[in-house]
Amino acid sequence: MSDVQQTVEVLPKLSSTKKKKPVGFYLSATWIGTVVFLAVFGWLLPTRPWDSADYDALGVKPFSPNHPLGTTGDGYDMLSGLVNGAKISIFVALVGVIIGGSIGTFIGVTSAYYRGMYDRVVTMIFNVMLSIPNLVLSLALLSVLAYSDENNPTTTSRRVGVLMLSLTIVVVPILGRIGRASALQWAGREFVLASKSMGTSNASIIIRHILPNVAPAILAIGFLAVGSLIIVEGSLAVLGIGVPGGASWGSMLANGRGNIAYSPHEVYMPAMAIALTVISCNWFGDYVRRALDKRESKI
Amino acid sequence: MNWFAEIYKRVIGIAVVVVIATFLLSCLMWLLPGDPAELLNPSAPEGAIDSIRKEIGLDRGVFGYYWHWLSNLLTGNFGKYYLGGGEREVSEVVFRTLPVSMQMILYAQIVSLSLAIPLGLVSAYKENSRFDRIVSTTLFTMVSFPGFALALILSLVFAVQLGWVDPIGYVAPSEDLFQHLKLMILPVVSLAVGLTSSYTRLLRTDVIATLKEDYVTMAASKGISNRRVLWKHVFRPSSTTILTSAALNMGGLIGGTIIIETIFVIPGIGYEIFYAIGSRQIIAMQTLIALVAFAYVFFNSTVDILTQIIDPRTRERRV
Repeated sequence: MSDVQQTVEVLPKLSSTKKKKPVGFYLSATWIGTVVFLAVFGWLLPTRPWDSADYDALGVKPFSPNHPLGTTGDGYDMLSGLVNGAKISIFVALVGVIIGGSIGTFIGVTSAYYRGMYDRVVTMIFNVMLSIPNLVLSLALLSVLAYSDENNPTTTSRRVGVLMLSLTIVVVPILGRIGRASALQWAGREFVLASKSMGTSNASIIIRHILPNVAPAILAIGFLAVGSLIIVEGSLAVLGIGVPGGASWGSMLANGRGNIAYSPHEVYMPAMAIALTVISCNWFGDYVRRALDKRESKI
Repeated sequence: MNWFAEIYKRVIGIAVVVVIATFLLSCLMWLLPGDPAELLNPSAPEGAIDSIRKEIGLDRGVFGYYWHWLSNLLTGNFGKYYLGGGEREVSEVVFRTLPVSMQMILYAQIVSLSLAIPLGLVSAYKENSRFDRIVSTTLFTMVSFPGFALALILSLVFAVQLGWVDPIGYVAPSEDLFQHLKLMILPVVSLAVGLTSSYTRLLRTDVIATLKEDYVTMAASKGISNRRVLWKHVFRPSSTTILTSAALNMGGLIGGTIIIETIFVIPGIGYEIFYAIGSRQIIAMQTLIALVAFAYVFFNSTVDILTQIIDPRTRERRV
């Protein structure tokens, strides 16, 4: 008798298709929406200028009337800093993922479709790029391309530009591999063969038959990539070679590290902003993936 | 028989990837504004810069320079740092810092695996229960929490505000084991949180799939206890994914320790890579990154072969 019970227990319940309330989805969508809104329209809001100090309020704690999120030890308002930082942090990550993702997807999908020597070279290049940890790669690119010393100082805009370039380069092999792996599954399907036999051009097969099928996977990983690029931007800033002067979240965090003992909110506010955004991106990406999976399983 | 062919192919693959990666890296050096030899030691007199240029082969063009560096590396000459008065050997730095980083990575792996294995098994066994949902949601949140933010918040709370441990520093285990472990707590926790989450999620997915196999039903119907079924019949075939991931992380973590080692001021290889890049010690930088790339590709390939040994089914699938 007890044996039978154990048998039943060790088998997992088959009711895994139970619907879940997507609370996380709404939370993450709201947070991403807010951050993107602030990044785009933040400069219209009646916040204090982020780059001028209020010398009457140095190191004010959060929740004070004039400075809702407090100020830094040098008198910079945290709220306007965070609003302004959203601009660069989000912009840099989005540009990296959109451009890098497009290039990567293009290369990955075409290499999976055409195969042969081209595919082998592409796979090799992706392997080479992935063999260097992405923080190390962007660190090396930044330190060379945005090199600065007393004789050749670099401007902030050049640094942001190089930062975007290096993040783009980091994303290419990641999404390229996903695109290639996903396209490989579809390139051998019957409808592709049928299309080919009807004389459809290769470009049109890729655009109309393969890309729409590859897109879900790319989209889901794309959201994760936005999150990890925000992390890389933050890490570079903490290492002291990212965007200077508190213009991004990572940069605020880096500036606040020195004052960690007496005004800890300087560290945990940007840290939480980064963390919440990354978590939201991952959740959102996961929901996108699950939603698209469901659609596929119904067919 | 074809094991040798397989390994031979892998070794060639590793070599090609590392060579191309380091070659591209050395090409990058030529994009530096100004004279790379001068950047190596800006305060050196004119004659010394000339000899540096000769010594590292900068006068032989892109390919000559790369070949000079590569042949030196292969014969065990890792190059030098030229900054800061004395010329330090890179090999010395590697021998000093690599064990420190490996200790930290090893601790992080042990901690995260010993948490992830029971968590993953239990939450897969109780799929969709409240326990499973809480664990899954928490871990999914934790895996996306940036490591450096976690490190900073941990050191803020436990070191600065509560004062339980020192915020920065490193003591060798041979000097003072207790102090060593105490200083390692925060960095290891910062590294292990993300690892634990990803291992648990991997193991959970895998175990859920394994539990549906016929032989598990068979084992259970023979009257073997649940615990034994889980450990002996389910865990072993499901362990390949988690082991693969653990080994893959070894390579990636060496690079990933940069930020943790910088925040906690630990003299490891990540910190040295950061220093070499920041101070444009191009030879040291190329050598250190080559080691990381090699470690990554090496673990990557070794894992592929090891999984075939652990789980014979993948071996058959390949043939």
